[in-house]
Amino acid sequence: MPIEAASRESAAEVTPPKDFLRPCLLLLLREHPAHGYDLLARTQAFGFKSSDPGRLYRSLRGLEREGLVHSTWEVSDTGPDRRIYQLTRPGMEELHRRARAIAGTRRLMDAFLGRYEEFVALERESEPRRPSR
Amino acid sequence: MGELDALRVRDEVLQAMYWMHAEGLDDVPTVENLARFLAVPAETLEAYLERFCADGYLERSGTGYRLTATGEELGKRTFAEEFAGLTGAGHGECDADCWCHDSPEDAARCLEDRVGHAH
Repeated sequence: MPIEAASRESAAEVTPPKDFLRPCLLLLLREHPAHGYDLLARTQAFGFKSSDPGRLYRSLRGLEREGLVHSTWEVSDTGPDRRIYQLTRPGMEELHRRARAIAGTRRLMDAFLGRYEEFVALERESEPRRPSR
Repeated sequence: MGELDALRVRDEVLQAMYWMHAEGLDDVPTVENLARFLAVPAETLEAYLERFCADGYLERSGTGYRLTATGEELGKRTFAEEFAGLTGAGHGECDADCWCHDSPEDAARCLEDRVGHAH
């Protein structure tokens, strides 16, 4: 089975790598400041589930404790005031560090998949041909 | 339950519940939902929640807990206070106009330069 097809079939089972939420949050906040709910929705693009807001909350707290993210109150006329999060200068630098590390990991994964594809191709060649109708 | 622990947990719980409420996620979390949210054991948390009810910060509502006006005010205030002063500029940071913000590659080079010349 080609890798693209296998990827499509198992897309629902793909889980984000460990400790991937932090760089994703830094990236999303680099795009623009955001509230928790907005971040919860946007992290789904990276494979995170919206059913786990506690994980997002704890990550944001950790990032803020480390000075990588800063939050302020946004006053609302229609509901409770909400925290709006933005990236700090150290957060920007951490984002760049993590992006470089991810690029390095991607090279290793590409090397793995390249060799795996050779293996899959050999398997395919050795399969008996089906009779054509 | 020690008094210092109770204060620490109180702030943690009230801040989390305020955040959940403000984001429209859950106004009346059960002890299980709140424990999952904070990644703490539900059995441990429940005794604290009952105490915070007795102290007037929370109130029971069906199977969950709701912030009282006092709890909401304290949760909001301590949330802001917790991280105050953490985000000031540090020594050796580049300024807002630095060329490093043009691209991730430029930023990485700028960072390397500055780390390489760190005191």
